[in-house]
Amino acid sequence: MTTPDDVELVTRVANGEERAFLMLYDRHVGRVHALTLRILNNPMLAEEATQDTFLKLWGRARLYLNERGPLLLWLLTIARRTALDRLRLEARRPMLSDANDPEDSWDLIPDLNTLPEESRWRSLYFAVQSLQPDHRQVIDLAYYQGMSQSEIAEVLGWPLGTVKSRLRAAMEHLREKWNEE
Amino acid sequence: MALDEHSLLRENIPAYALGALDAEDIRALEVHLQTCESCRAELADYRFVSDNLLSAIPPAQPSPALRKRLQSHLPSAQKTTRPRFIWSFSRLAMGGALALLFVMNLFSFAQMRALQRQQLSVQRQLQNNQAALAMLSYPGTEALAIAAGNISGTVLLDRDRNSAALVVWNLPELSEEQTYQIWLIEADEDRVSAGLFRPQADLPYTTQPVFSSQSISNFVGIGVTVEPSGGSEQPTGPRIFKVDF
Repeated sequence: MTTPDDVELVTRVANGEERAFLMLYDRHVGRVHALTLRILNNPMLAEEATQDTFLKLWGRARLYLNERGPLLLWLLTIARRTALDRLRLEARRPMLSDANDPEDSWDLIPDLNTLPEESRWRSLYFAVQSLQPDHRQVIDLAYYQGMSQSEIAEVLGWPLGTVKSRLRAAMEHLREKWNEE
Repeated sequence: MALDEHSLLRENIPAYALGALDAEDIRALEVHLQTCESCRAELADYRFVSDNLLSAIPPAQPSPALRKRLQSHLPSAQKTTRPRFIWSFSRLAMGGALALLFVMNLFSFAQMRALQRQQLSVQRQLQNNQAALAMLSYPGTEALAIAAGNISGTVLLDRDRNSAALVVWNLPELSEEQTYQIWLIEADEDRVSAGLFRPQADLPYTTQPVFSSQSISNFVGIGVTVEPSGGSEQPTGPRIFKVDF
């Protein structure tokens, strides 16, 4: 028997099938939770954001449009917004000790038991790791902490122009790296 | 457009794709994107980068208890415990909102006599109340409770007639430089502005219609934030409340 793909499962979720929902949960929770944990840096808050993300999947499955991208990307987009909303609600702006040491921010070493489906995130992960530390730092604050360039300049005590140029350079580096693949 | 201006706007595209562009620069770039094909192509490239950043993290499993908690929210787990409560809560909320709006209307008339100078704004408030009352007379109108600390009230939602209104008590007063902004929330969590308002002076409640050019059914929730006077493209200030549809 073939394993149902995401599109089939999300259609079944839209029709209220709980088993399909739990299959999607089992399939994607590791990626969703990794993102909420990355943003909130707190296991309890991250679990709440992960739960909210999947409850939104349950309630909004009928609104998913396959032509706009894969289901996982949709889920991760919802997870990021949910976690950033929570971050804002908690008024938990990152402490300098969290944000200032980029090495600490990316210190998770992936499991070496590489599975085929893991090759994609691994290649993305190592591309981000290959950024210069100060470039990685602005990406971290902008994307995973939801800060604007002005807020980053304030938190790091850098001139706004420096933040802008480092963010552009980091994005250009990743664009070139990922376009090669 | 001058080449220099194009180059300056183009430099903002990576930050825009990351959601890190400052609010005052967003509008100019979005206007430029409408007419500049090369910048739109570049934005698509950088959106690809930001999408990839969502996946550039090693997976992490939550505790097994999370799966059980999620299952407890599914209908099969709730059939034995919650349907009656949900039904009665909805009816209670509707009845409460009716009583509330009746009292509020009386209060509005009294205020109109006493506050001649504010006649125009009170009239607007009254119209809003009446619109809300009219909505309540429709059988399809849903009344969703607002509860956020000291702030309470009701979201009236009529999907069939594509209309909605807020009735909110105890909204804090704002400075002249601030406004409340209503946001309709899309399935992917994007926010669409649905109007600005300020609390009615000397009234403890505010009734405010919600304006949407799209079908209300396209949205999954509604929220209110405090924004600079004139409003923002996206929420930037503190959230006052949020209600899921």
